[in-house]
Amino acid sequence: MSKKIIYSLVGLAVIFFIGSLLIFLKSGKEAKTKEPGILTQDNVREEVQVQELIKFKIFFLTEESRWMRPVQYEIERPVVREELYRRFIELLLTGKENYIVPVPGGVKLRTLFYMEKKQMLVLDFTEELATNFPAGTDTELEFIYFIVDNICFNFKEVKMVKFLISGNEYKTLTGHIDMENPFYPDFKFFRQDDL
Amino acid sequence: MRNKLALLALSVILIPLSLFSLSLNIRAFDHPGFTRVVFEGDRGFEFHVGKFKTELEIQLKEKAEPGNTITTFSRSSLVEKVVHRVANNRSVFKVHLKSSFKVNRNFVLERPFRVVFDLVKSEEKEADSEPVTAPPTPTAENKPPEQQEQETVQEEKEKQTDSEDKPEEPGVFKRRAAIETICIDPGHGGTDLGAVGSLKIAEKDITLKVGKKLKQLIMSRMGLHVVMTRENDNEVSLNSRVSIANNNKAQIFVSIHVNSSYRKSARGSETFFVSLKATDQDAFQLSEKENKAFEGLNDVGEDDELKMILWDMAQNEYIKESSKLAEFIQEELNVLLSTRNRGVKQAPFRVLMRAAMPAVLVEIAFLSNPHEQNKLQEDSFLDNVARAVYTGISRYINYHNSVFR
Repeated sequence: MSKKIIYSLVGLAVIFFIGSLLIFLKSGKEAKTKEPGILTQDNVREEVQVQELIKFKIFFLTEESRWMRPVQYEIERPVVREELYRRFIELLLTGKENYIVPVPGGVKLRTLFYMEKKQMLVLDFTEELATNFPAGTDTELEFIYFIVDNICFNFKEVKMVKFLISGNEYKTLTGHIDMENPFYPDFKFFRQDDL
Repeated sequence: MRNKLALLALSVILIPLSLFSLSLNIRAFDHPGFTRVVFEGDRGFEFHVGKFKTELEIQLKEKAEPGNTITTFSRSSLVEKVVHRVANNRSVFKVHLKSSFKVNRNFVLERPFRVVFDLVKSEEKEADSEPVTAPPTPTAENKPPEQQEQETVQEEKEKQTDSEDKPEEPGVFKRRAAIETICIDPGHGGTDLGAVGSLKIAEKDITLKVGKKLKQLIMSRMGLHVVMTRENDNEVSLNSRVSIANNNKAQIFVSIHVNSSYRKSARGSETFFVSLKATDQDAFQLSEKENKAFEGLNDVGEDDELKMILWDMAQNEYIKESSKLAEFIQEELNVLLSTRNRGVKQAPFRVLMRAAMPAVLVEIAFLSNPHEQNKLQEDSFLDNVARAVYTGISRYINYHNSVFR
């Protein structure tokens, strides 16, 4: 066999090898982008895709009435359910002008999780909930049922709500209502006509 | 290798644990349609159950503390006493029943470890000795007959439905002792100021003043024994408050508080009794859920434990009486005080939950309301509050005597 033929065969083999390598790498890259992303705190917002608008009716305290009064909200429904709950809690904590938000100043939601089997939403608030809470039976009831009733009214899948503060269970907020057990809604602050 | 290491680690943990003596707490209380007996250990234990005509015997494979005791249950309609004797370093608990009975359900719960028996009165003639299968621990392989559970579910539903209306008929109330001891609980104290008004008036001071005035009225006019959860400006935990009432066998528990609201305009007095989500209206529904949960004993989870806790709460037995006491006190507050009537309400108050007696929490007025804050500074207003609560209590005692005696 002449040298020319040998060189040509080696050249073709090299070209074939490089071509195969490029095709392999390209297909690998494509396959990688098709893998479902794992939701973490960093990329959760990227994964959340706006699909539709969702309407809420949130009840706030007012100075004039013992009933909480409804306010209509409309937000974009995220794909992740927990994200929807988180946005809803933010609406509760932010409140609305001329309405009373029965939550102490500085309180933020640390984290939340939904326990599907128990249909229970667990809310973990920051330490300010304990340290800034103004003592009183009605202040405790107003806070608890403002959160619980609004959540259970707007999310039918949530049957009860449990509160944590900085990841821990608290016996009471200021010595009245038992906080160790989850709360069922009672809607006693909601007027029948407003539902 | 990994399994062997796990076994070794487990035995290292379990062997020292087994050396500690077992401490057992026994409870028995009536529920609509059945009586629940609970053996609560500070750790798990193995046992065998024997059923006799009017006795239920629980044999342990070890000795429990305290040994050789008799626990009586005067308030139970079915359980008379539990006798504990130690033989061959093993404990035997004999539950003496007032009549022949049937084991409606028996099951085991963990955290804390509890062996629970639901007993119902039985009219049928039964064999003198009828062995009962010990309920399985969550790790045991043996299961109690599911058939027995399913049979009793329907029975219990019927009994509960029947018993729901009973308290409305005075004739069928069980007999109870005359009221001799009342526990007054002035809310907060010490570093726990409670609500604080804009004039820096602390709830803890008002509750103590009213508590003392109320004590004086009850002792001087009724001649009854009054136990105070605190008589000075000291901090008392919520658990200690109810323990004081339970340990002194108080028959009425009145907790005095001053309210506060996010709404400055909120005003008036309120009287609360506890809501457990296992109140009479919910009891049947809860029982149904509970029955479903026990269809598969291995599925007993935290949620079922929660329901068990609710059932276990001593106040469950006194809901109707607490409601009556609250109603009388609130009516008197409405008459004597010129404050807005906010009525009788229910809420899961921690201090009321484990009270083994009719128990209410009175919110005199709102410290967050400027007008009512001024009133709360007047001694005459606090006198009126004490008088109103006193009259409410005395009306309840008359009611109690006419119905239960």
